[in-house]
Amino acid sequence: MGWMISLTVIVIYLIIVLVIGSMAGRGRKSSVVEYIAASRSLGFIVMYFLMGGAIFSAFAYLGGPGWAYSKGAASFYILGYCALGLVPWWIWGPRALRLGRKYNYVTMFQLLSDRFQSNALSVICSVVALLAFIQYVTLQMKGSAYVFEVASEGRIPFWAGALIAYLVVLIYVFIGGVRAVAWTNVFQGAFMVVTAWALGLYFAYSLYGGPTAMFEKIAAASPTHLLVGPGAKMSYAAYFSAVLVSVLGFAMWPHLFMKSYTAKSEKVLKQTILLYPTFAIFMVPVLFIGFAGIMQITPDKLGPPDKILPWMFQQMQFPPAVIGLVLAAALAAAMSTQDTVTHGAASVFSTDIIEPLRKEKHSDQQVANLTRFFVLLFGGISYLIAVLGGQTLVALLLGAYGSIVQFLPLVVATFFWPRATKAGAICGLLVGVLYNYGIVLKFIPELGGIHAGIQGLVLNFVVLIVVSLLTKPMNKEHVHRFTE
Amino acid sequence: MSDTDYGIKVFRSDLPQGVKTRNIIFFIILSLIILIQCCYWFFANSVQPILMGMPFGMFFVVLFVFLEFLALLVLYLLESKEYKD
Repeated sequence: MGWMISLTVIVIYLIIVLVIGSMAGRGRKSSVVEYIAASRSLGFIVMYFLMGGAIFSAFAYLGGPGWAYSKGAASFYILGYCALGLVPWWIWGPRALRLGRKYNYVTMFQLLSDRFQSNALSVICSVVALLAFIQYVTLQMKGSAYVFEVASEGRIPFWAGALIAYLVVLIYVFIGGVRAVAWTNVFQGAFMVVTAWALGLYFAYSLYGGPTAMFEKIAAASPTHLLVGPGAKMSYAAYFSAVLVSVLGFAMWPHLFMKSYTAKSEKVLKQTILLYPTFAIFMVPVLFIGFAGIMQITPDKLGPPDKILPWMFQQMQFPPAVIGLVLAAALAAAMSTQDTVTHGAASVFSTDIIEPLRKEKHSDQQVANLTRFFVLLFGGISYLIAVLGGQTLVALLLGAYGSIVQFLPLVVATFFWPRATKAGAICGLLVGVLYNYGIVLKFIPELGGIHAGIQGLVLNFVVLIVVSLLTKPMNKEHVHRFTE
Repeated sequence: MSDTDYGIKVFRSDLPQGVKTRNIIFFIILSLIILIQCCYWFFANSVQPILMGMPFGMFFVVLFVFLEFLALLVLYLLESKEYKD
């Protein structure tokens, strides 16, 4: 009976999200700039939660406690990168915003393909991004499925849990575009933050008498769990490169970069970056949940570490309605990322793959409809991969970061180096991405625990510079449009 | 550097020297914060002392999140007069 009450709470939550999402885009004109960039009109609060919802994902809410539980101090990297992820955006966000208004860009790859005068580059970038997007969405779907599995005490199977949450996301993204994503994220973000604090502190106090006592017990039982380096779960080099690749790669995610085009002004963009580190502070109690689980269950009994948060609830004898609320918050974390990634992926499909390949361009209305169609297609493909695939949550995301960070040299060259050429851009990107996947797929040996993405990035920069210097410079007037 | 060459172009040509200097200073400060976060273990790879309910390593990471916020706040306030909107 208790599980029915928990599920009812989750269903109510889903209905609220669906209503907010469906209402958000009402009365707006159906155009590309509205569907993808909210007519460049979003204010600070909405932008803050729109960006925050992307980072406060299943990775953070379920993977974060999972890492604290299984890898200890290695999980501090999540705080570091949550806080720093948007800092580089201070440099390129306003530039992208200004150019977007001037030349009517709504996606990251429209900017890059215009700078390098290459539709091929647009298509290559899009394929790389879509591969990473699929990994990212798969991660969120698995998070949603865990939530339903726990809430129903195993009655709702994995495939059905993932499907329910994703159908809701598909409906409101299909109807409302980025405006629906933004407004649902405001609701979901506020909901998650309140629950995270309440839970993290509750577990630490109720199980150990407070966080200090909790950490003292953990340190006594497992002296290296709260450290990194030799004998701990993560080496110095791995920690260093995990933070670095995440910080450099965060704003390179196309669905986040393209939010430069949704902001009302440069001021709003910088306010969002300024307050973004608060999301790292919100993550502190989320990690407490994982640490609190260490003395409660052994890893062999728990199974995948990502299940630590749902497992903790089951053991605490909470009223079913409270369990429902907490699980709904975990679902909010997954859905608030699913929606923005799905929207981003569909936008990339329509504007950066289909349009550059066509001789006769679609009308504005047709591109908006095409994007809606790709919302459905991308959702379906991701769902199949989530249901049929494997791996734990965080490992999936780290693999994706390695390829996404390879867009960094293109962005740097666009804004700061007029000498960069089309050939240099394409060669550098291909070398960086292929090298990264070579390591991930174990064709190339690892180098001292350094993240594959960082190694690929170094090669990417070198190839971009060398090939650009060996090839004919691009038109001066054209390239200087992007550096001014 | 003239407008017509292909050299690295960090700043817009019309930006005053004072603004350029300020941006360079904040770039260095924020880069240092990123580097320190990347190798927090060099400074604080220990459990004790436990401060504000967090092991020292975690406290150090959170402290630098706060310092990052302060740096961004100062930069924002200095830049705020320049926003046209």
